[in-house]
Parts: sequence; structure tokens; C-alpha cells
Amino acid sequence: MSKKDQHARREVPTYCYQCVSGPDLLTVGVEDGVATEVQPNFDSASVHPAAGKICVKAYGLIQKTYNPHRIRTPMKRTNPKKGPDEEPGFVPISWDEALDLVAEKLNECRAKGLNDESGYPRVAASFGGGGTPTSYMGTFPAFLGAWGPIDAGFGSGQGVKCYHSEHLYGEFWHRAFTVAPDTPLCQYVLSFGGNVEASGGVCGVKRHADGRARGMKRVQLEPHLSITGACSSEWVPLRPKSDPAFLMAMIHVLLHERKWQELDLDFIRHRTSSPYLLGKFGYYMRDPETRKPLIWDAITDMPVPFDTPGIDPVLEAPFLVEHGIEEGPDGKEWVHINERCQTAWEKLVEHTEPYSPLWASHICDVPVKTIRRIAIEYLEHACIGQTIEIEGRTLPFRPVAITLGKTVNNGWGGFDCCWARTLLACLVGGLEVPGGTLGTTVRLNRPATSRQASVKPSRDGFMEYPMNPTDKENWTSRPDVRNANRTLVPLVANSPWSQALGPTHIAWMLQNATPENWPKPTLPDVWFVYRTNPVISFWDTDSIADTISRFPFTVCFAYTADETNYMADILLPECTDLESLQLIRIGGTKYFEQFWDHQGFALRQPAVQTQVDAQDFTWIATQLAKRTGLLEQYNDAINRGAAGVRLKSDVVDCSLNVDQEHSVEEIWDAVCRAASVEMSNGENQDGLDYYREHGLKVIPYEHLNWYLYPEIEDQGLRFEMPYQERLYRIGKQLANRLHESGISWWDAQLDEYEPLPVWQDFAALWERALEDNFKIDINDYPFWLVTSRSMQYAWGGNVDIQMIREVASNIAGHGGVIINTGRAGELGIANGDLIEISSPLNATRGRAILRQGVRPDTLVMIGQFDHWATPLAKTFEVPSMNKLTPMLLDLTDSTGSGADLVRAGVRLVEKAS
Amino acid sequence: MTRWGMVADLERCVGCQTCTASCKHTNATPPAVQWRKVLDLEVGAYPDVKRVFVPVGCMHCEDPPCMHVCPSTATGQRPDGIVTIDYDICIGCAYCAVACPYQARYKVNGPSFAYGGRTGMKNEARREDPARLGVAQKCTFCAERIDYGLANGLTPGIDHEATPACVNSCIADALHFGDFKDPNSNVSKLLEDHQTFRMHTELGTNPGFHYIWKRKNDADPQDEQQVAALFSSGIGSVGAAAPWLQQHWDWRAAGNFIGGGTGSGLMAAMVLGSLSTELPFLHVLIALACIGTGLFLVWLETGRPWRAPLNVFLNPKTSWMSRESMVAGALFPLALLAGWLGSKALLIIAALVAMGFLYCQARMLKASKGIPAWRQPALVRLIITTGLCEGIGLLMVIDSLSAFNYTGLPPALAILLIFRLRSWRAYHKALKVSAPDQTLRVLKILNMPFSLLGHLLPILLIASGYLFVEATPIFGAIAGACALAAGWLFKYQLITRASYNQGYAINHTPERGTGGGGPGGKPGWSTTT
Repeated sequence: MSKKDQHARREVPTYCYQCVSGPDLLTVGVEDGVATEVQPNFDSASVHPAAGKICVKAYGLIQKTYNPHRIRTPMKRTNPKKGPDEEPGFVPISWDEALDLVAEKLNECRAKGLNDESGYPRVAASFGGGGTPTSYMGTFPAFLGAWGPIDAGFGSGQGVKCYHSEHLYGEFWHRAFTVAPDTPLCQYVLSFGGNVEASGGVCGVKRHADGRARGMKRVQLEPHLSITGACSSEWVPLRPKSDPAFLMAMIHVLLHERKWQELDLDFIRHRTSSPYLLGKFGYYMRDPETRKPLIWDAITDMPVPFDTPGIDPVLEAPFLVEHGIEEGPDGKEWVHINERCQTAWEKLVEHTEPYSPLWASHICDVPVKTIRRIAIEYLEHACIGQTIEIEGRTLPFRPVAITLGKTVNNGWGGFDCCWARTLLACLVGGLEVPGGTLGTTVRLNRPATSRQASVKPSRDGFMEYPMNPTDKENWTSRPDVRNANRTLVPLVANSPWSQALGPTHIAWMLQNATPENWPKPTLPDVWFVYRTNPVISFWDTDSIADTISRFPFTVCFAYTADETNYMADILLPECTDLESLQLIRIGGTKYFEQFWDHQGFALRQPAVQTQVDAQDFTWIATQLAKRTGLLEQYNDAINRGAAGVRLKSDVVDCSLNVDQEHSVEEIWDAVCRAASVEMSNGENQDGLDYYREHGLKVIPYEHLNWYLYPEIEDQGLRFEMPYQERLYRIGKQLANRLHESGISWWDAQLDEYEPLPVWQDFAALWERALEDNFKIDINDYPFWLVTSRSMQYAWGGNVDIQMIREVASNIAGHGGVIINTGRAGELGIANGDLIEISSPLNATRGRAILRQGVRPDTLVMIGQFDHWATPLAKTFEVPSMNKLTPMLLDLTDSTGSGADLVRAGVRLVEKAS
Repeated sequence: MTRWGMVADLERCVGCQTCTASCKHTNATPPAVQWRKVLDLEVGAYPDVKRVFVPVGCMHCEDPPCMHVCPSTATGQRPDGIVTIDYDICIGCAYCAVACPYQARYKVNGPSFAYGGRTGMKNEARREDPARLGVAQKCTFCAERIDYGLANGLTPGIDHEATPACVNSCIADALHFGDFKDPNSNVSKLLEDHQTFRMHTELGTNPGFHYIWKRKNDADPQDEQQVAALFSSGIGSVGAAAPWLQQHWDWRAAGNFIGGGTGSGLMAAMVLGSLSTELPFLHVLIALACIGTGLFLVWLETGRPWRAPLNVFLNPKTSWMSRESMVAGALFPLALLAGWLGSKALLIIAALVAMGFLYCQARMLKASKGIPAWRQPALVRLIITTGLCEGIGLLMVIDSLSAFNYTGLPPALAILLIFRLRSWRAYHKALKVSAPDQTLRVLKILNMPFSLLGHLLPILLIASGYLFVEATPIFGAIAGACALAAGWLFKYQLITRASYNQGYAINHTPERGTGGGGPGGKPGWSTTT
């Protein structure tokens, strides 16, 4: 068609939020009511960090809309038996009937009591995609809020496939739910398994491409040459799970092989806990009067409370404290007279002495000189002493950063890596300053809209943190949800995100075996599922499928058939991306590399008519609220901000009448007006029509807000590094609580509450766990099996989109199992041969893809495939490591996380034709 | 003057395939057709290995082999350098596809939809273009966007409405479009500030697609040749970007070369044989049947067969396919007349024309720059000698079954077989340094049976015929059959089994932030020239 014709067509601005690195702002070309083309939203180029560009996944939305495999109408299961081998016998029903059936079950739950006999919520809900479903589910959160207790702990990969340690420890140490370099200024990045080019979205890709073009060096350390490894200056193929050793050796080089004067001693003394004095029981030595931790002041040559004005903290010297106290767990305290104390710094130096590059070299399978060189490069690129002016404020300039990827960040070793990374930033003064290592957003602390506003001082001079209580009076001894996140994981806090970040595999594991002194596991009476497919996306998938088949009533918001909704009772087709209406927040700083100089709102709106008998999610939520008698509470939840904006501000009231049912457009018009009011302090009330036409509305966002350091400095706080006194105490308290309840099966996890991480042989830990649990000889499984993100698929739920499949096939690894070329040759395996990959748990098959860019002891399975019910995807015959990865308590760390890692063996099945 | 072209910055490209998807949207290409795509290739061996993402597609060459070979003039070139295809003229012979060393051309014969079915989804039905069925298609540089932009005062490569969709979509700002003839254009500036290379420049195509691999500094040599020589010794490992077996010409095309070679060889053999005997009309008919069958088979392979009989003649200026067709057009009446009249003089003329036909066929293959096994110059002699061997071989077989006795044929065949064997060895030797590994593998397998059964055995039989006179006819027949079968086998293998395409290559791996880049590679090739 000619360009002239193209201009005669309609272009609809909307957004794509299929992955956590969105939203991407796009326009949809519509010809005669048919969506034909997706393009960047060039009108947003001046406000969007990647100039309005959109990721490849957004181009799949047109096929998604017209996909002939869509669920075309609400469906009801007719086969009462459930399971992968049980044909569900879905039959079409009307929306009225479907909603009545769901409401009937819900009303039964309400009548019986919102919690069951074990104290667990009768209603559960699972959402995937790292929180992205909330950008698609309209006002369903308002319905859930109106309902009451919901168990959101049946995970679909959360905790084990996210950046879990970073989520928890990152928020704890620097309000960093995820961590990113300050890429526009950074000059040296160490990426331990990070995969920003595949999962950092358009902003990440753009920022790093700009970085490379100006000479930024990035070293990629991981077992295979990923997309990000490919785009890096250097690839260091280190052994799986040896990252903590590498990082510890870097710390060793900086502390034991370089002069301390080369470090940012000013930052270390004033912005970390390094000068805090320690008592002999491992807790801070405190001033008996104020109970504040003591620091030795060089000016007065005496111990003083940490926040004494004008002091000059000392890091190292023999310290004799005349009178001090230590506070231990559960109110225990020790009084010390004339006690010789170490500083946290001295303890750190002593602690890291054994972790030399030579020591790490054997663990990482990386030459000593490489480890040492990288540590020195890191230090030399840090520009210690330099400053930069940001919006009129002078800040330290430290253009070095370390990023951690999945698996590095999950399970045992995750804590060690996060600690070492954060400490390395502190040693060069590069935490939360321009050019350095930055947090992006908060999800556990409040308010979620501002990292700065979430900073509140703790009594010890750090940031306060909303730990789940571990003291005797307040500990949640009886889990309130099935994954027991508040009971077992103090760090996971208690925000709306916390359940999904708890030990999400525990909810599944405990369905099959109840540990000692633990409430009887129960199944939820009603389970809602949206944009997730745990039968494919979690581990031990056969077992998950078996558990799900026992759920009594499962309601899936379903786009196509898939492996999880194969076991559903009701399928509800919702209007998809190009058919539905919702306003979301954009801008500010958010996951990965979403650092904007603007903030505001963007609208997702129908570009075309709904293609099947689907309904907008907001309409579904309203109908469920109405049929469960919760309309008033539901409307009230919307008014209070459940749709993303509080409808009533100090200046303008856009609230909905709580007594009546509102249409989808009425609801979002009110939200749009409230958003405009929020951005203009009431001067502007543009509603839905404005957003329909323009797609978005933004206001400036201060660049200074990218950095937390100014807030820390303004409040006179310190980063809680390097010594983990608070976690140490909490761990002891948690141990007391659990042991008082007769629970000893969490003891290994409790050992991780250390003030300074003590090295463990993580590879051996994995091997031992597999040998113990499966009674196998680990030598029969000589490979490490790992996974890697696919940019074309990650988080997208787009596995049934033909075009995505087609373009993804251009990237190696999407069709099978990546194996080192030389090693494959030794095994007589050629490119394309059918091989069997077996773990101690299970076996699967796939085509061998021979690549040079992978360690000889490592196999890689990209993405998560192995579908057997999802249309199109079930024809791929591409294996997934999820089937091979066991859920083991032995491999669960104290945060409730495990890693995508298993040992595997390989056998040739059939030569390629 | 304007020369539109692209620059791909390999330092920036992350292989996301957004350009691939965007192109599919804008140009509504069917499944498996990717006018733009990004390769994922490796250079080196573990642990010293580099992985590089390389955008490819039509290079809009200044000297495009696809255009030269096109028999219908459907492939053209605009004054601004954009290589075009006129879907209304194209006969779908796919000659351009095998001539393109960048594997940029596609041919789709029937409707094809993402999820199957007869009409596809609504968006597919809305954008379906029947004119593209059965013809060649490829990247157009989104020429209609450029033309629209220029008509509206916009600058292609700068204003998105006037810029190719892939460039607009690139999330890494790796793709750039502009006018190379304008020294102040965005792309000219990029070339000025960076070290660049172009793919397969040794093939003389002068592509309009440059790859940035390094930021320039003062110490760098400025000359493209010098820069290329710096690192271009790397050898690529096999990967997705390695050459693959071309699928455009199948057994039907092989049939054309088999029938054409044998038929025209038979015409020449008849000249040799009829020096001492009558000219049998039947033999002329057999020769023409061979050639005709070959032409019929290849006609079956065209995507637009009803256009082909006329449009195939439209480009005699540069296309050996047009020339082959024209020569065939002259050969048939001449040969028929020679046979009908029994005129040896006319037969000699017809045989010369047949030799011309055979030569056209050989040159057709040589002009296929996309297939290393075909474009090798030594193939021309081999195709001609094998055609002659097949013709004589066939005549010897016919001779043994009929009353005719062409006594001069066996020694002629023996001599020609020696020539063919030498041609084969020269061709094989030349290919060893100019063909992908898979092609060499196929030819290596072919070497022994072709050399022994197709040459040494028939020569031995012919020689034996002089020792065992009673057995001469049968020995001659077997020798002829061997020579004939070997020729057919060779051509079948050449067209359908050894025809791995050029694949892709990079002269350098790019620098990534620091490091200055490194040696390039050519996946699937163990040797390079």
C-alpha cells in the first residue's frame, strides 16, 4: 500500500507491558477496523528513555488479537477428572452462567469463612510476569481488595526465577528491588550472569548500546556466552555458582593487595557501618544510655554514639571501651566493662583474608591473573575523589557497577553475591551515586511510588526496614498463607508483593509432604489464574501438574488453552492487549534500566473491536463484585487507589459513587481525571478522551531522584554495610521461634543469617543435595544445566504467536539444547542430533545445538518450553529444564529462593537426518 | 546523485529481531519470509570465541548479480541505487535468488498464513497481495516510504515517515539509512567516524550495506582494503549462519542441465558420427527431445509459467537465461530442418547453435554468484565437456541398439573423457579454496564414482574394445552409458546436492565498548580466498 494510504488509516496509541522491562509505548495501525501494523510511538520520543522504541514482543500483539486458537467464549469443564491425561471436555457457556458459577463458589467460601480450618485463605490467586498482570487486569485488584484474604503464594516461578536475593537484600540495603548501573555515566560494568540485552527492555538495550559507543567496558562472567555476553567487551566463562567466590576474591584484592587509601575511605567511614564497634558476641557495642552503636572518634579519641556531630570515625586501632552493652536476640543483653573491641571494618578485613584470587581461581575455573586484573580494573575505573553536579547538587562520581543475573541471584550463594556486590560498591563509594550501582524501585517498602520517601531512619542510623516480626509476641507462628512467607522470611516484609516473593515453591512442596509441626496443607477452594502457567514455568512440572489437578475449583482468565488451564473448571476469556482499557503509571525509575526524566500515565485502549466473546477485565471484576455482594467495597477500593490512582485528592474529588455499578469507561474516565489532577495539583482534569487521543500524559521527573545517596546524606544515614548485625539478631530470634514450635527443618536456612557471609562450596552443596535426595552418583550427571532468557519470549506469555516463534528462531538455542562443540564431539553428538538430557529427577529430549560459546561442563536450555497443551507451542519439541529441576528444601535458601540449576547427563538418541 | 544505503553498527546490535518483526509488519511478508533478519554467528573456538549479531537482507548492490541474471527485466535498479522487483513482469524462475550471494531473495508460490487455513487471519487477509505469489521478493528499502518522504520534503534516514521500517524500529540505534553520495548525510558521517566493511566484496557486487566494527582513531589505516587485511584471517565455526542447501532450483532445474547438455552434446556427436554415415532424423528428434524435456522441466519450476514463455526473452543483454532461451528458439527449427532435409551442412550449423546452447547453460551457472559450486569459472569447461561426453555416450548407446555404426565415436569419447576428467579435477581443485565445507563434502563423495565409473571404466572399456573385437559393440554401449550416467549424476548432484549457498561472513568481529574488535569469520567455510 502507498504511504498516502497509510496516512488515511487510523493510528491508535497504546502500550505493551508484556514484560517487566516495559511499558513500551506504541501505535497500532488500523485499516478498516483491522489492526495491521505495530510501530514505535514516535510522538513519545522526547519523553521516553528509548525514544519511543518498542521491543520485539510488542510486534506479536496483532497475531495475538486474531489468533484462531483463542478461547472464543466462556467455557465450563465437563470432565470432573483433572490431569494432563484427562481431556477437560470444555463446553461453551454464557457469561452470565460463567460468572454465576464463579460467584456461587465465592459465596460458598464467604459463607464458610474466608480462611479454612488450617487458617489459610480459601481463595488463592496466581499471577505471573513479575507483576505485569496488574497492568492488564483492570480493576481486578480492587475486587481482590474488597474480598479480603487471598493466598497469592502459589508461585509460578517467582522466588526462583526472579532476582530474588536482590529483591530482598537490595531493598534492605539500598531500596533496590532490582539493581542497575547508572549506565549513562558508567564506564565499567561487571555483569555476573546478568542479561540486560535480553531482559532489560528497550531502555536497557539503548542505554548499554550508548555506553558501548562511548567506550564503556563491560565484562560478562557466566558459563555460557549469552546475548549480553556477546555484546560485552570480555567474556569470562566461570563455573556455575562460583560467582560468590569471584566476588569475594575481588574484595580480597581491594582489602589485602591494594592500599586502603586507594578506596573511598570517606564513604566507608561516614556512609557505612564500617566504624561501628563490635562486642565479643558479634553485636554492636552500644552506648548504655542511648543504646546507640558506638564509633571510635579520632578527635576525642573515645567511643561516641554513631550520630554524634562532628566526629571523625576511626576504622582501625585497638579499642578499649570502658562501658558498653551488646543487644542480642529476644531482649538478651550483655554489659561490658573495659572491653577490647574490633570495628566492623577490622572484622571484615580479617574475614576476607582467606579469600584470595588463588583460592577463587580453583573454584571459578578462572586464571588468578584474570580475577586480579578485573578487581584492579574495577578499582581504577571508580574515579575515587571525583564529583559531578546533578541538577545543582554536587555528588560523588563513581562510574563502576556490578550487576547480578538470575541463578546468581537465586538460592544458596545469592545472599553472598548481593552482599559482596553491595560491599564492592561501598568500598569505592559507588553505591547510589552517579555512575555507580543504583536501585531502581521499591516493592516491599512503602510508598511504592518513591524510593526516597521510603527512607526512614532506624535507631542504629540505617534505613528502617519493615521486617516480618520475629519476636515472641508478634511472630506469625501460624502461617497466614500456604507458603508461610511471613513466618519463615522476615526480609520479605508484608507488602502486597510479599506473598509472591515468599518461598513460593514451598506452597507446592508442602502439598505433597507436611513437615514436622506444621499446619495441615489444604487446597484453596477457589484459585484464580491469570497470565501465568505454573505447570510449565515452575520446577518439577510433573508434580506441579499433579497438585493443580487436585485443586477443586480453578478459574483461569484464558487467552488460549495452556497446560495450567487444561485443569481449570472455568475459562474466562478477557479482552486482550489491543482490545481493552486501562490507565497505568509510567516513568520515574523502575525495573532494570527504566530511568526516566518524566513520569505520568499511559492508556491501553481498544485499537480494534473484541474479536471473540471476551470481556474487559474491569467489567469482569465489576460483575464478580456485584454477584458477591461486594460492589460497595469494590468501588471504595477503586476510590482508594486500587486502580493505580486515588480518586479523591485534597483539591479535586473524582470518586465513584460506591453504591452503583459503573461501566468500564466510567471507571477509567474517573481514574484518568484523577491522574490528571495528581499531575497538575488539580489544575487539569483531562479524562479518558484526552488519553484516548494522546495515549499518555507526563510531567518532569527530577534526575536527582535516580540516586538514593542524596536522601541518605540529607538524613545523615549510613548504608547497612558490611556488617549484618540486624540480620544476625533476627536470625537468632527466628531460630528461637521455630525451635520453640518444634520446627528444625529450617535450620540450614537459619545458618545463613550471618554477620559476614562465610564461604560455602555451593557447587558441592548442589551435588550433595541431589545425591542425598535421589540416591544417585553425581558422576552420572556430569553437566551443569542452566537456562537463559530469550528476549523474544521473556515474560511475554507469547509462546503461541507464530511470528515470535519465527523471528526467535534466528537466535541460536531456541530449537533445542546448547552444548559445547568440542564436548559434543567427544560424545559423538553432532548439530541437530536428538539427545536425551536426564537429571536425577526426570529426563527430557531435544535437538543438540553445538556452540563454541558455552563451557564444556554446561548445557543451556533457553526459555521455558516443553508445552503439551498450548496451541502451536506443543509442536515445538523444545525441552525445558523446568521438568528436570527438583524442588528441594536442601536447595532452598533463607529467603525461600532456589536457583535454576541442576546436574544433568546426556545421551545420544538419534542422529540428525 | 543519490545512493541510498544502510549502515549496521555491529557494536550496537543485540540480535533482538525487532527489525525483523517490524519489517514483517510493514511489508506484510508471509511466514518464513524475512526481508530483514539478524544472524547470530560465532567466530573462534572456546574459550576464545566471539558471538556477533549481523543484520542482513538485500544489500542493494551497485552491481547486482540478481539484476544481471534476471531474464525478464523484472529486477531493476533505480537511479538512487535501490534494487527493485516488478512483480508484474517476474516469471518466478528464481535465477535471481541463486545469483544473490546474500540469500536475500524469497519466492512463495502459494498463499501461506501464520496459523494455516485458506484465508488466514483478518490482518493477513487485509494485507494479502496476490501479485507477490510465484515471483521473487526481497527488501525494497521501504522505497514507498522514501518516495513519500521526498515528495513531502522529508529526509529519509532522519524523518521516521521517510525511513525504512527496520531502521525506525531498531531499539539499539544500530541500523541507519541515508545517502552515501551526500558527504554530509548521517551515513556518510558514520563511515567517516568508523571502521567499516562490507560483506562479500570479493564478489564484486559493491553492496550498499556497510557494517561498523570499530570506532576510528588516528592510528587506524584509512583504506578499506588495508583495514580488511588487518584481521580477516579468522575462520568461523559452523552455526546458523553457515551456508545451507539452496532450495530454489530442484531436480527440475537439474533436468534442464541434464537434458540440455545431453541433447546439445548429441547434436555435436551426430556431426562427428554422420561424417561417415547418413544423418538419422530420429537422432535429431532424440536430441531435441532431451533439450525440450529439460526446458519443459525448468518451465514447470517457474512461479509464473504463463508469463515465462514471453518474458524469459526480455533481457538478452545480460541474462544467460534469456540467451539460452533465444538460442533454444533458434536451435529447434534449425535442427528439425537439418534432420528433415538430411543436410549435413545444416546439421553442422545446428550443432554449433547447440554448442551455443550448452555454453549458455554453463554461463548460466557461472553467473549464479550465490552458489559457490556454480559460479566457479572452471565449471564452464566441465559443463561443456560433460555435455559432449553425454552426447557421444548417448549416441554410442543408440548405436549399439541400431544399425548405425559410428566408428569414430569411441576414440572421440575416450579423448573427451580425458578432457572431462581433467576439467573435473581442475574444477574440484579450484573449489577446494572457494566453496563451503558442505559443498566440498558432497563433491568429495562424488569424486571416486565419478572419476572411476564415469571415466576410467569407460576408457578401459573402449580400449578393451580394440582387443576384443567381438565385444566392441557391447563394450562401447557400456562405456557410453557410463559416460552418460556419470554426467547426469554429476549434474544432478551439482544442482541439488552440492549447491550450498554463499552463506554469510564478517571481516571483523566488532569492538564492544573496548577492545578494538578482532578477526572476522565465515561460518561453514574452512578455507577462504
